[in-house]
Amino acid sequence: MMPELLPVLLLTLKVAATATALVVVPATLLGYALARYRFPGRRVLSALVGLPLVLPPTAVGFLLLRLLAVDGPLGREALGFDLGVLLTWKAAVVAAGAMSIPLVARTARVTFEAIDPRLEAMARTLGHGRVATFCRFTLPLAARGLTAGAILGFTRALGEFGATVTVAGNIPGRTQTLASAIFAAQQVGDAARAGRLMLIALVVGFVAILGAELLAPDREGRR
Amino acid sequence: MSDLPALEVDLRLPLDRFELAVGFASRRPVTGIFGPSGAGKSSLLEAIAGLRPAARGVVRFGGDTWLDSAAGRRRPPERRRVGYVPQDGLLFPHLDVRGNLLAARRPRGSGPPREETLATVARLLELTPLLGRSVDTLSGGERQRVALGRALCSAPRLLLLDEPLAALDLPLRRRLLPFLRRVRAELTVPMLFVSHDPIEAQALGDELIVLREGRAIARGEPQRVLTDPEVFPLAEAEGFENVLVGRLAGTAEGLRTVLLGSGAEPVELRTVAGRGPAGSEVLVGIPAHEILIAREPPRGLSARNVLPAEVVELRAVAGRWLVTAALGPGVAPVVVEVAEMTPRELGLGPGERVYLVIKATSCRLYEGAAPAG
Repeated sequence: MMPELLPVLLLTLKVAATATALVVVPATLLGYALARYRFPGRRVLSALVGLPLVLPPTAVGFLLLRLLAVDGPLGREALGFDLGVLLTWKAAVVAAGAMSIPLVARTARVTFEAIDPRLEAMARTLGHGRVATFCRFTLPLAARGLTAGAILGFTRALGEFGATVTVAGNIPGRTQTLASAIFAAQQVGDAARAGRLMLIALVVGFVAILGAELLAPDREGRR
Repeated sequence: MSDLPALEVDLRLPLDRFELAVGFASRRPVTGIFGPSGAGKSSLLEAIAGLRPAARGVVRFGGDTWLDSAAGRRRPPERRRVGYVPQDGLLFPHLDVRGNLLAARRPRGSGPPREETLATVARLLELTPLLGRSVDTLSGGERQRVALGRALCSAPRLLLLDEPLAALDLPLRRRLLPFLRRVRAELTVPMLFVSHDPIEAQALGDELIVLREGRAIARGEPQRVLTDPEVFPLAEAEGFENVLVGRLAGTAEGLRTVLLGSGAEPVELRTVAGRGPAGSEVLVGIPAHEILIAREPPRGLSARNVLPAEVVELRAVAGRWLVTAALGPGVAPVVVEVAEMTPRELGLGPGERVYLVIKATSCRLYEGAAPAG
């Protein structure tokens, strides 16, 4: 039973891992900016970042489709060459990434807000510049929360369906992920296959969310 | 003393209820900022450390300009090389004690190697047994010693101590005071400290600046400033005591003798406390209102100390008099609080010989015993 499902699982993990890796750094910096700086348009930016959480995923997918279409702002006509994203696994990465940005950025923001800014001021008086303070003090202090946020983003990417099928389609062996494979199996009435896929999704999802759970809470409990 | 770098401050900083506007220049090793809570003391220290972007004016230290807002110059905190110790220690929770002590990035070629500095500081503050501990497991007193140690390990040019002991309970505060005196005695780093504790202020400061609502209202030698008629009510509310430096001597009939003064004939003070070995330094605190003045040596009195003294000065404070009296060479003058009619009735005036009557139980000893907390 497993061998035929393995490619689906591997592609799903590859898409989710790549999307998370691409999203983590910008979303963390975005979360830090929202947590620490007061600038014009901060609330608007915050709302924009959260938007994928509330939009129907298919709407996000359609927006991405328009952006990447041949005549879109990131299409062949505008750029002069083809990014070759649509209907490939890269499109699935873009869709999953867009859907997980809000979770990663929001968790990062909450994590940074929980760190006493006076600790950063203290690091400055000890001779560390802004960048060094961020890298050597803020990031290590935020490590657990940021890891938990990355796992959350990863789980969101794992289960992403609506935006993914819109831009990447549901092509077995090329763009079919766990979510779209379950949908396809159920559509053709293959309940056994859908059930097995569902079990795999259950296990992967549970392990990931348990990991996030173990990392997130109780500052006192550690060490 | 004149080779100490000078600190020159002329700052304005808007705060919630008033504007902080303080100017002073100091070359003394240890300057204290005294005042009630909310007077702007901490803000002043933070502005000098470079942590208040809203601060305007001038800060210069040892020939370097740290702030000159009119000229648009502002040196970031990481390039001021101050050793900042806040009230709550602010230790880095992701580092152990050793990691905290070594957290500073020191400029190349500044002083001895890090490990050597670490060893010196750990010995001075008795931190060696704590080095491997996580900061979560430290007691309040240990945390403050680590915070002080971290500042010292950064090879600072100026120490800024913001009520380093205020977060601790009173007995612990008194036990940690000797550590600060040790830092003061063994290191040549100039120090600016904030305190609302008159005893701390006298024990550490060479001079004191009194801050009220963002303004400096008095400045000078600590005891003299604290007994200034304007300042004394404030100092009294915070628990003013005369602070005298002495050495422990022998014990007789349950009373411990403390020798005050550096002269050939030190003044002997009998006290009820004192556990340290003979010869060790102690601070003696005596509240101004627990000292009596007599013109003749009294007889048939339970008080254990009757010390000849000479009146130096009388100052009126809100319906009372503060009488300053000198006990002898090398002993700080003692301030005695008496009722309004007393100087007239006893004929007190500068130069008059009197006797100071002090109960052994009125003398509080602050010793340098290794703190348990």
